[in-house]
Amino acid sequence: MKNSGVFRSRGVSWLMHKLCFTLGSMLVTASAFGGNKAFDDGDYTVKATLSSPMNTIAGLTEWAQSINHVYGITSIVLVLVFFAVSIPLIYAIYKFRVSEDEDLINKKPPKQVHGNVVLEFAWTIVPVILLLFIAIPTWEGIFSRPVKPPEGALKIKVIGHQWWWEFQYPELGITTANEVHLPENTPVFFELSSADVIHSFWIPQFGGKKDVLPGADAVNQMFFTTPKLANPEKAGGEYYQGQCVELCGLSHALMRFEAVLHSKQEFDSWAKVHNQPPVIASELEKKGELLFAQCQVCHTISGTPSEDLEKQMLAMDPPAPKQGPNLTSFGDRRTLGAGTRKNTYENFAKWVREPQSIKQGATMTAFNLSDDDMQAIAAYLRFSTAKNY
Amino acid sequence: MSGQDHAVHETVTGIDNRKFGMWILIASECFLFGTLIANYLINKARGLVGPTPQQIYDIDITTLSTFDLLMSSVAMVLALHGCQTRDIKKFRFWTGVVVLGGLIFLGFQYYEFSHFLGLGLGLTTNIFGSSFYLLTGCHGAHVFFGVLWLSSILITSYAKGEEWFPSMPLEVAGLYWHFVDVVWIIIFTVVYLFVFV
Amino acid sequence: MAKNLPSTGIVSWLTTVDHKRIGILYGVTALFFLLFGGAEAIFMRTQLALPNNTFLDAGTYNGLVTLHGTTMIFLFVMPLSAAFFNYLTPLMIGAPDVAFPRMNALSYWIFLFGGLLLNFSFVVGLLPDGGWFNYANLTGPKYSPSHAIDFWVLGVQVVGLASLIAAINFFVTIMNMRCKGMTLLKMPIFIWTTLVTQVLLILALPVITVALMMMTFDRSFGTGFFDPGAGGQVIMWQHLFWIFGHPEVYILILPAMGIVSEILPTFSRKPLFGYSVMVYSSCAIGFLGFAVWAHHMFTTGLGPWAQALFSAATMLIAVPTGVKIFNWVSTLWGGHIRFTTPMLFALSFIAMFTLGGLSGIMHSSPPIDYQHQDTYFVVAHFHYVLYGGAVMALFGGIFYWFPKITGRYMDEGMGKLQFWMYMIGFNLTFFPMHFLGLQGMPRRIFTYASDQGWNLWNLVASAGAYITAAGGVLFFINIFYSLKWGKKAPHDCWDGRTLEWTLSSPPPEYNFAVDPEVKALDDWWLRKWDKDGKRLHPEVQPEIDPSTKHLPNPSFWPMILAFGILLLACGPFFNAKGIALSLVGVLVMLIATYGWSFEEA
Repeated sequence: MKNSGVFRSRGVSWLMHKLCFTLGSMLVTASAFGGNKAFDDGDYTVKATLSSPMNTIAGLTEWAQSINHVYGITSIVLVLVFFAVSIPLIYAIYKFRVSEDEDLINKKPPKQVHGNVVLEFAWTIVPVILLLFIAIPTWEGIFSRPVKPPEGALKIKVIGHQWWWEFQYPELGITTANEVHLPENTPVFFELSSADVIHSFWIPQFGGKKDVLPGADAVNQMFFTTPKLANPEKAGGEYYQGQCVELCGLSHALMRFEAVLHSKQEFDSWAKVHNQPPVIASELEKKGELLFAQCQVCHTISGTPSEDLEKQMLAMDPPAPKQGPNLTSFGDRRTLGAGTRKNTYENFAKWVREPQSIKQGATMTAFNLSDDDMQAIAAYLRFSTAKNY
Repeated sequence: MSGQDHAVHETVTGIDNRKFGMWILIASECFLFGTLIANYLINKARGLVGPTPQQIYDIDITTLSTFDLLMSSVAMVLALHGCQTRDIKKFRFWTGVVVLGGLIFLGFQYYEFSHFLGLGLGLTTNIFGSSFYLLTGCHGAHVFFGVLWLSSILITSYAKGEEWFPSMPLEVAGLYWHFVDVVWIIIFTVVYLFVFV
Repeated sequence: MAKNLPSTGIVSWLTTVDHKRIGILYGVTALFFLLFGGAEAIFMRTQLALPNNTFLDAGTYNGLVTLHGTTMIFLFVMPLSAAFFNYLTPLMIGAPDVAFPRMNALSYWIFLFGGLLLNFSFVVGLLPDGGWFNYANLTGPKYSPSHAIDFWVLGVQVVGLASLIAAINFFVTIMNMRCKGMTLLKMPIFIWTTLVTQVLLILALPVITVALMMMTFDRSFGTGFFDPGAGGQVIMWQHLFWIFGHPEVYILILPAMGIVSEILPTFSRKPLFGYSVMVYSSCAIGFLGFAVWAHHMFTTGLGPWAQALFSAATMLIAVPTGVKIFNWVSTLWGGHIRFTTPMLFALSFIAMFTLGGLSGIMHSSPPIDYQHQDTYFVVAHFHYVLYGGAVMALFGGIFYWFPKITGRYMDEGMGKLQFWMYMIGFNLTFFPMHFLGLQGMPRRIFTYASDQGWNLWNLVASAGAYITAAGGVLFFINIFYSLKWGKKAPHDCWDGRTLEWTLSSPPPEYNFAVDPEVKALDDWWLRKWDKDGKRLHPEVQPEIDPSTKHLPNPSFWPMILAFGILLLACGPFFNAKGIALSLVGVLVMLIATYGWSFEEA
């Protein structure tokens, strides 16, 4: 029965180590060049940090904090259970090991214990008790959530598209995309629906996620009270990242958005000026305004003819909503391509000329504009639409 | 499927392997039809256009076809009895009746489907139609398979002569046939009758 | 025809109905598909090693995500478990074969054709890209108009049929063909977990069959079951998929638990602690497995009561699972523990599975799940359960029964090296994924920006994947090396406890020359010792002239029938026109069925 514990294949192991490292470094190197990158290339740092913009354990809203609370309790219980299993396991492995060279064939076997009713009963009951420590906060967490939107909550319709987010404020008459502006410390009520496939709406620091389903009778709701500003003195809002978390097709990875938290006054002034028509301040912007006529089949800017066109399209039978995001406040947005890239001239031009190189499968039409035209349309969209609030 | 797979050993439960296998298949099929029926119930009122259940079901015809299938189950019992008592005439006659009953049922189903098509309910007309055809079509396919199976036994009987009494294969086929019949009773109740409640 | 078929050579493998050969076919095919699934994983980890990487484009990545999951579950873990069911069930219960030997062959061929159909998507370059869960309506004709998804839908449908046929076969085999004296509570524990697994398959597979049928109708024949534009509901697919999908998880893990429960006693020289409780807990896990499916859907907008009940049911599963874990530890307690390769894999199973189980309890709590759902935390969780758990146990099983199957031990040196490469590689890959999940990294994204704080752990995870892959290569080298140069194995090569060790290695075609009879659980072990702990040398099974035993005849029909099923399944590729192809398939099936029925078994 003695089995060879001899390390017979040292040669093979050496070879495997070599092969492993060579293969690994080859693949990583091969992957580091060529192709189109989806995001702006930031500084690459390999640092361990929990301060991710998508951090799930540093909740800012009451809801997110209550989730973190359940998570904390659960973690403590489970870490205890882990030790309760691993300490006896490691001890048993260490204590009761026998040498591989020992002749076990004729050695008297250990005591043949078939079980122990008391012990087995104990480790049936104890887990039940431990589970209650998890279950009770869990149920509290479930049932303490409101099932109806709180009174006076700010209603925002979230519409998922492949692969960008549309946000409508029905009470304010505002439609925007990929940036959802929120007043601080205010109850908000998101109504989630999808124009195409299933998406999932998630701002990790504000709470959990909820699926965004297609179908008129499959509208989900999410409510929470927005947190207070971390730095109330600073104007311009605080940005929190969100992202689609349900596989929704080709460019699912590139469907991000930002929640922008404002002071209440700032939010009110944002809401007031949002729909004002673009301010044409130069010849270039004027030219850009004319060029935008090509864009208005899919995009709308409030206070321009594209808005009338949208109304006409929606009045058709069946209604034909525009395919692209509303660009009324494009000049204010930090990013383009649903949070994929910074809103810079270079990225803008690349997006207009070859959207597929940034986001595969995007329905955006490629426009091969001359540099002059590109500067004009960029000036119009990036500056004329910017609002002062 | 076959009649002779390993019947060499006495079985532990005393139930023949083939018969036991059929019972297990039936357990699985219960979940299959359960899912189909649940799907139908969820979707029957969700059609956005076109005929609704109330508009098209013809309860008289379906009652007839249900009666036909029910009677074929009775015939199945008699056929098995004939086989077990080595009565070749009884075995062949009643097996033939079962096959005929199955064929008549399929005829009814063909008539019903074409009648519904005439009323404007196709497979893709609305989700009620899709669920209806998927459920009843799946059941019809089971009946068709049973007819093939039993007619194969009948033909084999004529090929093998008057001393061939396949009690166990016939019993297994009978189990299947009764199951398909029971499923129809449930479909008839849930799909056709509940509409008029 | 049947009687003239050869007993060696390629034709003998194509026509075999011997459960041992079919088991080997299952095992070899599963390991073949492991190469696919593993390569897919390596490609994905390479893409994700660095942020903003361009090694793969979005479409390829989504395809690899889908095929990696589908392959590992349906074409690797399930068939490798089936390899053990096939090879071991009759040997462990003292039977000459399974209840339906030709149906056994049929299920193998259906599985093989289904697996090839799924992977044919590589040949035509249309990778299914809807995820292994294939959520509607993304996978409907409107948003996935190419045939890519059809490969998944039809391939999984075919593979599912294979599992159903095998499940009926094993259920009847276990219930009906046990040797004299082997009552239900004297069956080896592996046979028990096999039995529970078959029950799960029998009851869960029809649900996915219907769901796939509806999906096929939506995609090929224009219905709208999952199309909200036609009154359908996307959530319907999720319910149907997970009513199948959660029992499926236990279908993957229960056989592994059975294997571990065989290995631990052998290498501790002690009986399994709390055998009957282990049996009941397996049944409880199987039963509860049907009542928890909606915990995959906590974020879809379930009401509070549904969430509370499904989370309670899910937490309950921790109880029988915990009992199992403590019983395994108690099995070791006071034993003579030998660190053979199979034992190392079994011990790592306990640790890794415990970790995966604990993170699973976290997700059973809907509030926590709101944050963790669809993040890498879930990826970490289920890889700890299915890889650290199921796959490690299956590898242990391969090392444990390889000498029985081939007559030669696998090389221990290479085996142990592989084990450590797996342990290190696995934990390097998947433990950091917990951190990535907490940092909010979503699943199934083909790339990420460099400013997300995810760079370090992704790089570590990828490095771990390469180490694991190298361990996998070593495993294949070990197999080929050991087949030729491995140490010869005697009958009872590990000093085992169950009936298969009374047979020669490899066992003769007819299995048992003398019908075995058992008096107790671990009968073979008990026969090896007298009351005072003195070694006895009981008779092993003698070898006799095979022609004196009636063996089922080999047959071509199972393969032909399976081919007919493949043709039938391929019809919907061509929409309504494909009905002709399907009818040809039905015709082939009919011919094969008649050929089969009139052939001497």
